[in-house]
Amino acid sequence: MNKIILENDEVVAQLDESVVYELSYSDLLGVNLLKIEVFNDTSMDLVYNFGSDVKLEVQIHVNSGVHLNLYEKVVGDKAKVRTKYYLLDDSDVVVSKFDDVRVVNEYVVIMLLGMRAKIKYNLKTVALDVLNYDILTYHNASDTVSNIINNGVCIKDGRIKFNVSSFVPSGSKNCDVSQSNKIVNLTDNECVIKPNLYIDEFDVSASHSAWIGSVNEDSLFYLMSRGIDRDSATRLLVKGFLTGSLDIDDDKKDDIIRRIDDYWR
Amino acid sequence: MHVLRIVDLCVSVDDKLILDKFNLEIKSGEIHAIMGPNGTGKSTLSKVIMGDSNYKVLSGKIFFDDKEINGLSVDERARLGIFLGMQMPLEIEGVSNSDFLRTALHNRNDDFKLYDFIKKINKTVEQLKMDKSMIHRGVNQGFSGGERKKNEILQMYMLEPNTIILDEIDSGLDVDSLRIVGENVMKYYCDNKPAILLITHYQRLLDYIKPHYVHIMKNGSLVKSGDASLVSLIEKYGYDEKLLNEGTSIIKEKRENE
Repeated sequence: MNKIILENDEVVAQLDESVVYELSYSDLLGVNLLKIEVFNDTSMDLVYNFGSDVKLEVQIHVNSGVHLNLYEKVVGDKAKVRTKYYLLDDSDVVVSKFDDVRVVNEYVVIMLLGMRAKIKYNLKTVALDVLNYDILTYHNASDTVSNIINNGVCIKDGRIKFNVSSFVPSGSKNCDVSQSNKIVNLTDNECVIKPNLYIDEFDVSASHSAWIGSVNEDSLFYLMSRGIDRDSATRLLVKGFLTGSLDIDDDKKDDIIRRIDDYWR
Repeated sequence: MHVLRIVDLCVSVDDKLILDKFNLEIKSGEIHAIMGPNGTGKSTLSKVIMGDSNYKVLSGKIFFDDKEINGLSVDERARLGIFLGMQMPLEIEGVSNSDFLRTALHNRNDDFKLYDFIKKINKTVEQLKMDKSMIHRGVNQGFSGGERKKNEILQMYMLEPNTIILDEIDSGLDVDSLRIVGENVMKYYCDNKPAILLITHYQRLLDYIKPHYVHIMKNGSLVKSGDASLVSLIEKYGYDEKLLNEGTSIIKEKRENE
């Protein structure tokens, strides 16, 4: 298992020969750049711990034919992150991402550069304050597949904005584009989802969905009918919503569940 | 001894009257079956007893052991020992069966013991001929219709209710699953003597679970009640007027006396 832990400006890495990284400090705009290249099939954990107001750009380059199973965890107070994924021919990337940061401005760019490149991007986030996500997927080659799943839960002063755009230019044939965006809002604050599809090619399969609401009342009824009080039932549903579809092991799920439990204490 | 008593219950959904002066009393050790045409309010009755807020109680009262429970929340009713086995159990993503049941048992009992829980759930899963991996899968996630119904019975065994409502627990079950579900409900009944209210369309479930009382429900109230022999009359006549005029009716007699 490869692991890169980034604590503000410090990097701790445990990597085998399939992954290399390089961290360059502050360009003119004060943004640190973490560049990661993946050569062989592998799994990797990428953990960001932002104690202070750090600006970071992460570039992840996945070579041809490589399968990458990536778990990203972002924790801390304030995060301004630009993450760019570059996928070459026949590469296949599964991103399972959990954000637990008070204030987030995250800009994600997914570049499907090679034929048959495929990504499943699965973001789970808990909002205590303002979270803004811009997620852009470019299908720049034919037969590319993107499955973008964004799930967020708003509690306390939380507000979430998902601005999700998928682009298929003319000439990128037989692409499969899918977006699913869902926010469970347990506050009276405003949440926004903008699911955009910009398709300039006829031969494309595309779908998008957006849903904002409270926890499902029928699910609550089912749990409560077994004697679980409303608050505990809501918490169970939130935990299920944030961990259910993630491709991660039980230890990581338990870690997420512990963090969610902390908010109910 | 527990008693569930429903008195003159009128319930509406979207301004449509579904239950119309419904009356029923069920005691521990009694098995009642309610049968009737589609859309007559049988499932509504089960949900209303459980406290589903989608249904508006216009008038009438529900008592549990002489305590009115109209004002109790769903979980409070469940903690009294009322259990509803649902017709269409929901799929709940990411919440495993074991977490769900552990939370439910914790909510009921501070003296929860994990070892006892594991021992009991393993034994019951085996008894219901369920796949052991289902314990750790999301609640009803990817379950077939039959597996969902068995999962309801698993929950019943784990929560040990004293008053059980089973809403079309036989629908979607193949012959073997029906036998397993039926035999396990009967085993629970023999061991614990709860009050059971079965809602069903078919006699086949009653081959395994023998009711003491059978009621016919039409237009939101019980129109005829009798013993298990009423089931064969339903098979013969369906729910038309001939059946209602056949033999005696507890409800008819009661109304006539009034």
